[in-house]
Amino acid sequence: MRIAGFLLGFLFLLSTGAGAQTTTQPAASQTESATSQTAPKASSDVQKERDNSGADYGHKLHLRLGPVFLGAGYSRFSGPGYYPFGPYDSYSLGWGPPFWSPWGAYPFFAPGYFGYGSAKGEVRLSAEPKTAEVYLDHAFAGPADHLKNMWLEPGAYDLSVSAPGHEVFRQRIYVLSGKSLKITARLAAEPQLIEGKDKP
Amino acid sequence: MNWKIGVAIILASATVLMADGPKGTEPQLAASGYPAHTEVNGVAVGAVLLTAEQARRTFASDVNRCCLVVEVAVYPPKDKPLNVSLNDFVLRIKDANLAEKPSSAKVIAGSLQKKAKSDRDVTVSPSYGVTYQSGRGYDPVTGTTQGSGVTQTTGVLVGVGQRGPNPASTDKDRSAMEAELSEKGLPEGTASTPVAGYVYFPVSSKKNNAVQLEYKLGEEKVVLALP
Repeated sequence: MRIAGFLLGFLFLLSTGAGAQTTTQPAASQTESATSQTAPKASSDVQKERDNSGADYGHKLHLRLGPVFLGAGYSRFSGPGYYPFGPYDSYSLGWGPPFWSPWGAYPFFAPGYFGYGSAKGEVRLSAEPKTAEVYLDHAFAGPADHLKNMWLEPGAYDLSVSAPGHEVFRQRIYVLSGKSLKITARLAAEPQLIEGKDKP
Repeated sequence: MNWKIGVAIILASATVLMADGPKGTEPQLAASGYPAHTEVNGVAVGAVLLTAEQARRTFASDVNRCCLVVEVAVYPPKDKPLNVSLNDFVLRIKDANLAEKPSSAKVIAGSLQKKAKSDRDVTVSPSYGVTYQSGRGYDPVTGTTQGSGVTQTTGVLVGVGQRGPNPASTDKDRSAMEAELSEKGLPEGTASTPVAGYVYFPVSSKKNNAVQLEYKLGEEKVVLALP
């Protein structure tokens, strides 16, 4: 479908490129045309018209607006096209340096690590609550609402999602290039101790 | 110097113990929890043949392309550890008169990668166009003038190939698939507690074929008809 979209787009450009041309034509000739959709046949017609445009069949020089094609196509970009932390499409740095915090050093993923790449696989994460923290292989990846689409190198990962007051969601995931994996992590609330219940 | 050797031995032992091996699946409480089950000499065996849909949901790897997947659980006697080996299993397809031994995760992953590499992405899209021309136009080819009218064109767009590598066809994919199949596979070795996991048979899936699992248990042969 993507190829079809590209082809339609190309044909559209080709047709509009042929639209303005200087040629000779009889004054009586005035053409308006509208095409609802580009097609291979239509594109070859355009090409043919361009080839013949130099023929000396008139005597009056004027600017002719060629056929105007209205294209209708469908193109789907499989990548996310949006990354909440910046334009890091196809940008991968791997592990970043340890982040030093008062509690010690822990690894984190560099910005853009989860950006789209043709040799990556997609993990669609849906988590509840949305503010839950996501960890991959015990490294902090980010809040769940910023990681709805993660693109990862093929491999096996330990995914965990945690939020205060909720039980931790853990799953071993396997990512393959060009494949999409849907994960739904609904974190159950931790059972709360009711005070005074067990007291005599 | 001796303490250094001691530390090295401890570290090496810890590494071996922590090494990732097949973990399999969580066995049911009893073999009767599986659709096909039996008990011979105190050893209970349960099995279930995964449907194509179940396999698709269970694995990221497209195992349906190469094999039939059977989840097997073995329950050894309490005081008698049992040696579990994939070589003791055979899948027999009665109608096709075919018997297959299981393949290792490495072989299956290699096979899946090879099949993914050979895939071709072909896209066929129909197209249709309508052109309306008003007024009179001069056709330079025929030398005639044409009146207004509608021209219809139809065609088919065929696209072959794609920009990047085929899905799940890289060496990293093979490693990931091997890891998945291995980790979910039936753990081999001496088992003193119930073990369960998936066993992969390189048989093309055909519906309505009677399939049975044979398990060689010492001198005995356990036969389970898989529904």
